Amino acid sequence: MHRLLAVVLLAAAAVAPTVLAQPASQSPHGKAERRDPVFLRFPEMAERYWVNTETNAASHKVIAIPLPRQCAFVYADSYSRGQMSESEVQQVALSNCNRKLAELGPLGENYNVDCRCQVVISNETYVVPRNVMPDASYGPVSIFYRDDRGNVARLNGVARYGALIGRDRSVTFNVENQRGESVCEGTFTNEAPGSGRFSLSCFAGKFSGNGGYQSKMGAPNDHVLARGQTGRGLPIVMVIGLPAQLALNTYGGI
Amino acid sequence: MRLSAFVLFALATTLPATAAFAQSAGEVERCFQNPAACHQGGGGAPAAPPAAPPVTVTRPAHPAAPAPDYATVLQGSEADRKKIQESLRTLDKYSGPIDGNLQSDSTQKAIGEWQKGRGTPPVGKLTPQEAQQLNAEASRAPIRRIEPPTQTATPTPLSPSAPSNADALKSLQARLAERRKAAEPKAEAASQALIRDLKAYVAADGKGIAGEQFSAFAKWYADNKSAGRTIGDITPVIDDYGDAKAGSAVSSEINFQTRQGDASFGQCLVFAWIEGNPRKNPQVFSCDDVAAVEKWKTDQSLRSAWR
Repeated sequence: MHRLLAVVLLAAAAVAPTVLAQPASQSPHGKAERRDPVFLRFPEMAERYWVNTETNAASHKVIAIPLPRQCAFVYADSYSRGQMSESEVQQVALSNCNRKLAELGPLGENYNVDCRCQVVISNETYVVPRNVMPDASYGPVSIFYRDDRGNVARLNGVARYGALIGRDRSVTFNVENQRGESVCEGTFTNEAPGSGRFSLSCFAGKFSGNGGYQSKMGAPNDHVLARGQTGRGLPIVMVIGLPAQLALNTYGGI
Repeated sequence: MRLSAFVLFALATTLPATAAFAQSAGEVERCFQNPAACHQGGGGAPAAPPAAPPVTVTRPAHPAAPAPDYATVLQGSEADRKKIQESLRTLDKYSGPIDGNLQSDSTQKAIGEWQKGRGTPPVGKLTPQEAQQLNAEASRAPIRRIEPPTQTATPTPLSPSAPSNADALKSLQARLAERRKAAEPKAEAASQALIRDLKAYVAADGKGIAGEQFSAFAKWYADNKSAGRTIGDITPVIDDYGDAKAGSAVSSEINFQTRQGDASFGQCLVFAWIEGNPRKNPQVFSCDDVAAVEKWKTDQSLRSAWR
């Protein structure tokens, strides 16, 4: 009896991701384009998906990202090998996305939403409605600064920026708190590939900072690191793209 | 013993007064958690208890040497901040917008220049005394404002209130659009000439100046050919255009529709070159190799008329 139950549960677990991901051929959500925001947001993935001759010609190509849209700061792309079916490639992408999300640590201090990985593009076709896809770049943000009393404090939320940092000359961004209220605005100004100056202004200029920034690619996750001074001339560090605890452990010692 | 009691008493009486002026982590956190209350309260005592206790990573206080007070001017009233920009403009140090933003690059540079001119370190920020001296100096100077040419195209409204950020942005966008419109015919012509060369190269099955000038494209074409893919539509999107040290620089994203059997998919390359016959410094990049494209532009000293 127990063995039968275990088999049923195992089968259900194996089938669940297949239910979540729709085959591209049945999707009414339209074709993906090279210049869609999700590809501009993750250029290395776009390279594999559209350009790299080893991967872009795979018979099945799948992308999974966490949703809702403000969670989409990691991704997983998967390509068929051998005789893999579309459903199998979707499961690999989903599993890789979940693994990455888990490895980066909890997001609770940044988001008040439940971030869950989902297959969004399969074989160059959207398998989720286009309006749930991120229309800009998002990432968890942590701001570490030293206050007038010498204490190091931190603020956590989510950052949103409208273009691709490092490409456009100037990119504006805003920071929302956990309740989704816009609290800070700022600008990244590109001076060299992937680096430049930043400025930040919160609560009508009551708290501000400026300095230099750098886009950092690769492990643990692509992120932007900005260092400078607050309006009061004290150190400030802003990290976009790492969950709060990971950002604290990596850059919190200002 | 009596001395230490006196010191403690002095600390106890002094600290609250200091704290009233200080921007503590708690205040910032309160504003962060409840920006609406912060705007109303102006950073004073909280109107309501904060949603969460201040997240403070406690470190021992680091007593620092008394630093110049730049905060007072930066956080002064909008009128005072605009007055400083007006003074800088009167003294021909500043030609940017009068928006009260003393932390903009142009304003900081102007302040630095003014400081340099009077033999003090060009820090780009003002103490209250310096602000007073700057305004006094400007009030003595004869008024002779020379508006920069870029600003004469979009005159400042006569209303007493300065343009909002949204208006400033709109004005900037309008100027950029105008500059881009002027560059558009040349950029389009350059891009279309490249498309003609690329199509000729494909039609001649891998022969022609496009492959001779852009060797990476020739290799890309050969790779596709050996993989059994044919090239269909070739469409450009201009990525950037402007003057560079060796001539007019163009970067254009070219989308190639490739076909293999029944399957059709797009591939994207960025072509970058300096206009000339033949094209100079030609390079081909993957559309996603943003860093390399930007580096090429930096190497060419490209001053964009496109973005």
